[in-house]
Amino acid sequence: MTAIDAGQPVLAAPERRRPIGLLLVAVPVLLVIWLIIWPIISAVIQTVWVKTPEGGNSFSVETYRFFFSDGYSLSNLSITLWTTGVCAILLLVVCLPIALYLRFSDSKVAAYVQGLAIFPMFVPSIILSFAFIRVLGPNGTVDLVFNAVGLPKIRSPYLTPWGPVIGLVWDNIPLTVLILLSGLGNVSNQAIEAARDVGAGKLALLWHIILPRISNSVLVAISFAVLGIFSAFTLPYVLGPAAPEMMGPFMQRTFRELFEPQTAITQAVITFGFCIVFGLFYVRSVARNQAP
Amino acid sequence: MSVLKIKDVSKIFPNGNVRAVDSFSLEVADGELVCLLGPSGSGKSTLLRMVGGFERPTSGEMTIDGEDITHVPPEKRPTGMVFQSHALWTHMNVFKNLAFGLKLRKVAPDEIKRRVEAVLDLVGLAGYGTRHVAQLSGGQQQRVALARSLVLEPKILLLDEPFASLDQHLRERLREEVRDIQQRLKITTLFVTHGQDEALSMADRIVVMRDGKTEQIDRPDVVYREPQTPFVAGFIGTMNLIEGNVANGIFSKAGYSTPLPVSDGPAILAVRPEALDLAVASEGSQGKVHRVTDYGTHGLVDLELNDATRVKAMVSHPDLFRAGQGVTLAPRAIAAYRDGVVIHRA
Repeated sequence: MTAIDAGQPVLAAPERRRPIGLLLVAVPVLLVIWLIIWPIISAVIQTVWVKTPEGGNSFSVETYRFFFSDGYSLSNLSITLWTTGVCAILLLVVCLPIALYLRFSDSKVAAYVQGLAIFPMFVPSIILSFAFIRVLGPNGTVDLVFNAVGLPKIRSPYLTPWGPVIGLVWDNIPLTVLILLSGLGNVSNQAIEAARDVGAGKLALLWHIILPRISNSVLVAISFAVLGIFSAFTLPYVLGPAAPEMMGPFMQRTFRELFEPQTAITQAVITFGFCIVFGLFYVRSVARNQAP
Repeated sequence: MSVLKIKDVSKIFPNGNVRAVDSFSLEVADGELVCLLGPSGSGKSTLLRMVGGFERPTSGEMTIDGEDITHVPPEKRPTGMVFQSHALWTHMNVFKNLAFGLKLRKVAPDEIKRRVEAVLDLVGLAGYGTRHVAQLSGGQQQRVALARSLVLEPKILLLDEPFASLDQHLRERLREEVRDIQQRLKITTLFVTHGQDEALSMADRIVVMRDGKTEQIDRPDVVYREPQTPFVAGFIGTMNLIEGNVANGIFSKAGYSTPLPVSDGPAILAVRPEALDLAVASEGSQGKVHRVTDYGTHGLVDLELNDATRVKAMVSHPDLFRAGQGVTLAPRAIAAYRDGVVIHRA
């Protein structure tokens, strides 16, 4: 009986701690609600609960109908999807070999390669944009070098859809490499050796052993890249064509130059809609992969 | 007929210029199980990895059935390796783990199914094909790892401390099973361990390694009874190694002396605890009982010679001895070493 009495305060402790725990999580939760959830809800409401000429409010999907029937808006959405898709593929093509090299190389060069791969993380997008223009733009370094050796001028990707693609890929290399590298850290050397032992060549090793083991990391890396690229602003704004334009610059121009805030908010909601589809796909894939 | 020949193989790691294996030679006969035994850093795992193709020898030559495999990559060698950590592919179930190598060899699906089921039956895991490897116990995982190697019917089976991560009971059971399977299949096997029990109970021959070199290659009973060097004597089982001097055919150390018909000079006297008889002596004692441990079936008496050198003796009646008692020592079998080689055995 004494033991039970003595144990009571100990059993009651979690009950007492519960309000403290709830208070600790309340601050970030409230911030998320205030800064993310509420603006989303507010934006959606503003696009469907519109002012009537009589001064009242009514439900309308006119702004969405306009977006999805307007050729220019649709071509902007389509160039954004194209840029995002191409960037995602290029990021995998570029970053996977780098991450594989960094994971499996014993060479001292690997440290320098890692430094170079992570370097863009510390370069602001605007600096990166101007560096791009100075190197690949008209009369840039590449042109000058080609001219010096008597080669013709290149067709500069600057102000073409490939401009933002190159810039965004370069900008996203560090995060993608780091995420893939962290995934590759879970592939043990013995698992690789066991596969080689049963006869797996390099391609079979990559396809049957490494890629299935890092599928979650690939999903995370691509999801992060896609979410960032889809709503990117600086690089598409500086390096991309005037028309069609990606959703980021399109929203800004609609808001600032055309003074159509409701249309801009509609574009933002549609952009958010695509991003949340990617997000849900990522969450579902990760959950499915983690299921026993 | 699968014979593994290793001739003058050395491995020098460039980092720190470490000579992990030094001019090592060995011939493993068809169907033989040879254990590489030695302490950590003796080069046994490096040697096994070189046979498996995971390390390149700095010099030397390795052949399987006369075919030079020294520079053949692991995926093209007729060897199968079982790793210490099992190294199963956790994204595949048991069947897929076993079938992977067969698929790479483009074996027909029906044949794959037949061979996988046969080998699962062999290792006592019939019906486990659809299980995920994470659902298996440590012992079952090790059986799957063994089955994964066996299903490819390698000429040489390589086992790299396969039981190191298992508990003692499971380890004893599995080593019997592995030995049974190895004998049934008559597969030539090279087995790395630092556990002398494993080596003594499983091997046809034991290679004792130290600092990348061979100390002794012999049958387990010979390695135990007739160790060629003081290192082997001290490493295999429990051995009393008493450093002393020989003068006029008498070995002496701190009041203890025994006839030793060798030339004068320093010597190491080696006596197994089970070959050392003790007698309680009130006068003329050669040592003093320090501790008596009763193991039920026998007892172990820890003695101290006059200069505090510790000696162990196995006794059948431990209750006859008490701490502090004076005793005399009478070895029934001895060996003596000088300059690292045996100079006398009786």
